[in-house]
Amino acid sequence: MILQDARDYQILFLSLFLILGIGTRDWTLRPDLILVVMLTCLVTQWIAVSIWPNFKQNLFNLLPLQENRLRESDSCLANPLSRSLSLRSAMITALSLSLLLRADSYTTMVIAGSLAILSKFLFQASHKHFFNPANFGIISALILTPDAWVSPGQWGDDWLYALLFAGTGGMVLKRVGRWDTTAAFLGSYALLEAIRNIWLGWTWDVYWHRLMSGSLLLFALFMITDPRSIPNARSSRIVWATCIAVLTFILRNQFFVSTAVFWALFALAPLSILLDFIWSAPRFSWLETLPNVFSTSGENELSDANPVNIPKHEF
Amino acid sequence: MKLFRILKTLLIAFIAIVCFAPNAWGFCGFYVAKADTKLYNKASQVVIARDGSRTVLTMANDFQGDIKDFAIVVPVPVVLQQEQVHVGDPKIIERLDGFSAPRLVEYFDSNPCEVARPRLLMQASPRAAQALGDRAEESALGVTVEERFTVGEYDILILSAKESNGLETWLKLNGYRIPQGANQLLKPYIRQNMKFFVAKVNLEEFEKAGYQFLRPLMMAYESSKFMLPIRLGMINSTSEQDLIVYVLSPKGQTEVTNYRTVKVPSDAEIPVFVKNEFGDFYKSMFQTAYGREGKKATFLEYAWDMGSCDPCSAEPLTPEELKKAGVFWLNSDQSSNVFITRLHVRYTRDKFPEDLMFQETSNRESFQGRYILRHPFTGEIKCEAGQQYKRSLPARLEKEAQTLAQLTGWNIQDIRKKTNVAQTQEAFFWRNIWP
Repeated sequence: MILQDARDYQILFLSLFLILGIGTRDWTLRPDLILVVMLTCLVTQWIAVSIWPNFKQNLFNLLPLQENRLRESDSCLANPLSRSLSLRSAMITALSLSLLLRADSYTTMVIAGSLAILSKFLFQASHKHFFNPANFGIISALILTPDAWVSPGQWGDDWLYALLFAGTGGMVLKRVGRWDTTAAFLGSYALLEAIRNIWLGWTWDVYWHRLMSGSLLLFALFMITDPRSIPNARSSRIVWATCIAVLTFILRNQFFVSTAVFWALFALAPLSILLDFIWSAPRFSWLETLPNVFSTSGENELSDANPVNIPKHEF
Repeated sequence: MKLFRILKTLLIAFIAIVCFAPNAWGFCGFYVAKADTKLYNKASQVVIARDGSRTVLTMANDFQGDIKDFAIVVPVPVVLQQEQVHVGDPKIIERLDGFSAPRLVEYFDSNPCEVARPRLLMQASPRAAQALGDRAEESALGVTVEERFTVGEYDILILSAKESNGLETWLKLNGYRIPQGANQLLKPYIRQNMKFFVAKVNLEEFEKAGYQFLRPLMMAYESSKFMLPIRLGMINSTSEQDLIVYVLSPKGQTEVTNYRTVKVPSDAEIPVFVKNEFGDFYKSMFQTAYGREGKKATFLEYAWDMGSCDPCSAEPLTPEELKKAGVFWLNSDQSSNVFITRLHVRYTRDKFPEDLMFQETSNRESFQGRYILRHPFTGEIKCEAGQQYKRSLPARLEKEAQTLAQLTGWNIQDIRKKTNVAQTQEAFFWRNIWP
C-alpha cells in the first residue's frame, strides 16, 4: 500500500523539504515544536474521527429528518481503514505547519495544530470541508496568539529549489489531477506581477526575483492544490485559483502584507462552496488514486454499487 | 499492544528531541574585541525604530567629500513636515554599533589538576574607518515641492513628481548633480506614489554650529511599507556595498521577507592568535559566508533584548539613548520592550534586484556573532589528569585551526604555522616574569 496513495508522496516530499530546509537553508526550526505540532495533529485527528460521528449523531437526533442519512456515513467513519488513512491527512497538515509556521511556544503550536484539524470537522458544507487545514491553522495562530509568524523569505529564490518544487509538486498533482489549480494561480499571479512590473518600469530581474520565491511556489504546488478542500469542477477551480491570485496580488502590493497568500486562501476558501453549487462535479476521494482498490481514475465518482466497503466521509 | 508500541516510539522521539534541543546556557564568556562597522570602507548604517506602522528612520552620514557637494535623495512613503525631520546624534549610531557588533571572547584553561576557575583578560582594539551614505539625485517638471524647511545643518525638500524625466530635469535645474540612469530608477518610486526626501547642507548653519561632520538625519512617519530603498544607491555601482540595519522594535526579531535572512557563523572556537587580527578574521569570515550563500542572503549579526547582553561588547543603551535612537514607545520605567536586530546586507546590483522588505516577528530568540579563544593552561602540570590534558591539546588546536580555515578560507598551513608560533610564545616560562 505504501506509495500507492498520493498522500504518501506528499508526506515523503514535505518531509524531504523539511529536512532540506533545516539542513541547507539555515532555518531556526525547533525540533520540539515540530514534535508538538505533529502529536497535536495526529491526536486531534484520532479523537475527532472517533468521537465526531457520535457527537454529530446526538446533534442530529434533535433533527429527526436527517437521521437516516447520517447513520450511513457514521458507519463509514468507524471503519479502521478510514481512520488510519485519515491520519495521513493529519500528517500532511502537521508537516505543512512545521514547514510554514514559526512560533515561540508550545501553546501556539498546539492551537495551530488542533484548530487546523478541527476545522475539517467544524467547517463543512455538504460533507466537505472547505478550509485548507494547514492554512486554517496558520491563520488561527496568527490571529489568536501573540507569538506566531511566517517567514516568506525562508526559501530564497534559487532555481534549484524552484525545480525541486515543480518536479515533486508535478508528481503529486499528476496523481490527484489538480494541476489546473496551480496553473491558474501561478499564471494569473505572474500576469498581474508582469503588468505591475511594466507599469512601474522595474527591470525584469525584479519580476523574476518576486516570482521565484520558493515560498510562493511551495504554496502554489502544495497548498492550494489540496483536492479535498478546493472546488470539485475544473472550471470552478480555475475561477477560484484566479481569485486567490488577484487577492494575493492586492494584499501584497497594496497593503504590504508579507503573508498575503495565506490570507487570500483563507478569505476565499468559503467561495468554494458557492462554486461547487454552480458547477457541480464529483467530490474528490483519496481512494480514487489507489489503483489496487479501484480501477477508477481521474474524476469519476465512486460507484455506489461497488462491493468494497468504501468510506465516503473520510477527512 | 499496538498502542503500547506507538507510545514507546513517541517516548523515544521525545527523549531524542529533548537531548538535541539547543543549550540555553550557550552564551557566556568574556568580551574582548568586536568587529564593528569601522571594518568596512564604506558601510551605510541605518537605524529603524518601528512599532506597528510608526517608524523613525535614522540614516548615518559619512560623506567624505566637500560638504557643499553633499546631497541625498531618498524615496519616502509620505510627505514629511518639518517637525517630522530631525538631526540625530552620531554617537547613538556608534553606540548601537558597539553594542551589537560581533565579538571575540576568550577563556583561559584552568590548571587541569585543580578545580575549574575561569580567568579572563584583555581588550583588543577595534580598527579604524567610517560609516554611511546613500547618495543619489534626480530632477523634473510636473514636480511639486510639498515641503521646504531647514533642520540643523540641512536644507530639506520634500518633492512629489508625476514623471521621472520631470523630476530629473527639476533636480538638475536646481543644481543637484544626478548620476546617469537615475531617471529609470526614479520611475518605479514615482509610480508607487512615493515622495522624495532631498537634503543638502546649509553651509551657513553648518559653519555657524561649527560641526566637524555631518550628523545623521532622522525622519518620523507612519506607513505600512516596511522597506529600505537600496536600488537608488546602486545606480552607478556594480561593486559590493555594505549596509548595516539596526532595527529596534517592541516584539522581537526583524527579518527580511524577500531575501533569506541567515545567521552569521557563530560560537566557533578558533586559534588564539586571531586575537590580534580579529578584524581581518571577521572580514574574511563574512566574505566566505556571503559567498557560500550565493551572495544573495542577508545576515543576522545580532538579535537581543535591549535590556541585557552577555557578554557585553558595550553597555546596553540607556532609555535616553534609546529615545535618541528613535524609540518612541518606551514606558517611563524600563527598556525591556525594545528588541534589537542587526542585519548586515552586502548587496550588488545583480543579486539584489529588489528593495529590501522587512517584517517584525515575535521571535525573541537571542543571537550574537561570537567567536571563542581558549588559551591552553601554561603552568606546571603534575597530575595524571594534567598529562591527559596535555595529550589532548594538539588535537584541540588542530581542530581550532581547521575551523578557522573553514570559516575564513585562509590557508590551513599558514594557520598551523601561526598557531605553533602563538603556542611556543605562550609557553616560554620567562614570559611569566619578563613579558
